[in-house]
Amino acid sequence: MTAHPTRSGRWPAVRPWLGIAARLGLAAVWLLAGASKIDDLAASGRAVNAYQVMPYDLATVIGAALPFVELALGVLLLVGLATRVTAGISAVLLVVFVTGIASAWSRGLAIDCGCFGSGGQLAAGQAPSYLPEILRDLGFLVLAGFLLSWPRTPFSVDGWLAGDTVEVDDE
Amino acid sequence: MSSRKGRKNAAQVVRAQIAREKRRTRTIWTSVAAVVVLVIAGLIGWAVYSSQKSETFTTPPGANPPGTAVVLGQGPVTVDLYEDYLCPVCKRFQETSGATLNQLISEDKIRVNFHPVAFLNRFSTTEYSTRSSAAAGCAAQGGKFKEFTDQLFAQQPAEGSAGLSDEELIGLGAGVGLNRDDFGSCVRDGKYKTWTEHVTEDASKSGVTGTPTIRVNGKDVEDRTPEGIRAAVEAAGK
Repeated sequence: MTAHPTRSGRWPAVRPWLGIAARLGLAAVWLLAGASKIDDLAASGRAVNAYQVMPYDLATVIGAALPFVELALGVLLLVGLATRVTAGISAVLLVVFVTGIASAWSRGLAIDCGCFGSGGQLAAGQAPSYLPEILRDLGFLVLAGFLLSWPRTPFSVDGWLAGDTVEVDDE
Repeated sequence: MSSRKGRKNAAQVVRAQIAREKRRTRTIWTSVAAVVVLVIAGLIGWAVYSSQKSETFTTPPGANPPGTAVVLGQGPVTVDLYEDYLCPVCKRFQETSGATLNQLISEDKIRVNFHPVAFLNRFSTTEYSTRSSAAAGCAAQGGKFKEFTDQLFAQQPAEGSAGLSDEELIGLGAGVGLNRDDFGSCVRDGKYKTWTEHVTEDASKSGVTGTPTIRVNGKDVEDRTPEGIRAAVEAAGK
């Protein structure tokens, strides 16, 4: 591709809408992830324990807290409150998840990531699918990264508090 | 004239600075609010889990001393079986290797610790894994754990279904000679559900992440065929 004469002109118009897509997309990810675990907190704890990186009792606490934190992150992103901070925390969590999956992979553990429920156990005769899980999380990480760089999006509490109109003026 | 212009500029600078300051304060407070929301959410999760978790459990007769499995046989080699009654691979394992295990038990070569774990509750609409495991505890109370376990695998419902109802479980129990009244009330009351929770928690603590898991004298056996199990038992018995 050669130079885009219109690119610089289009970017400011497109960016807010990419931003709200990223925000709502990441919100949906967290809401789904949290909702899929919340009805069986013991299974969520087992999923964390299956990574074998912390003592069982700590894993159960993390496993019980995680779905609620995920739901809260989803709601904060949905309404657009403190977008930069929630995107940052999302990114940190995703990096932790990717690291965990990669480490389980490298140690030869045969587990399910438990990302969207399942208690860390593989279903019948299922092989672990570490690579797709990691790629998926990296995709989510891109969304978080976008919001970290450009946290101001239309229809957000952040914008409302700042007295913005839908048209976002930046910097 | 120039001084008036200077004042105007100065006023602009001050206004911009005040606006910046306000923006900063707002960002700090919204960030603090978001973090507080997340921390509270986590604490709620912990509290909910703690309230769900049962502190005590009722162990059925015939269980091993830590109450994490029902013991079958009295041979010198210990075979730990971790199985979920809803797990199709467990059913297949029982079909191919169950007879070998029975034979090794009757030859007094092994003792089997059968751990009826509830890993797959999310694969039924009625927590069938927990209900069937707790019902197996009731069967142990009536002295028919093995027979009832065989029936549960023979009549295994599909993953994703509602599973067998409590009444159907009671029917299976009566079919293997359990007292319908005693067994029935035990199943309906969910007497051993806390035990199932304990068994499942112990399995997870022991690093079991899938069913079936077979351990001979504490070591994972990958080859689940009759030959593989015999070989592992013989190696352990030496």
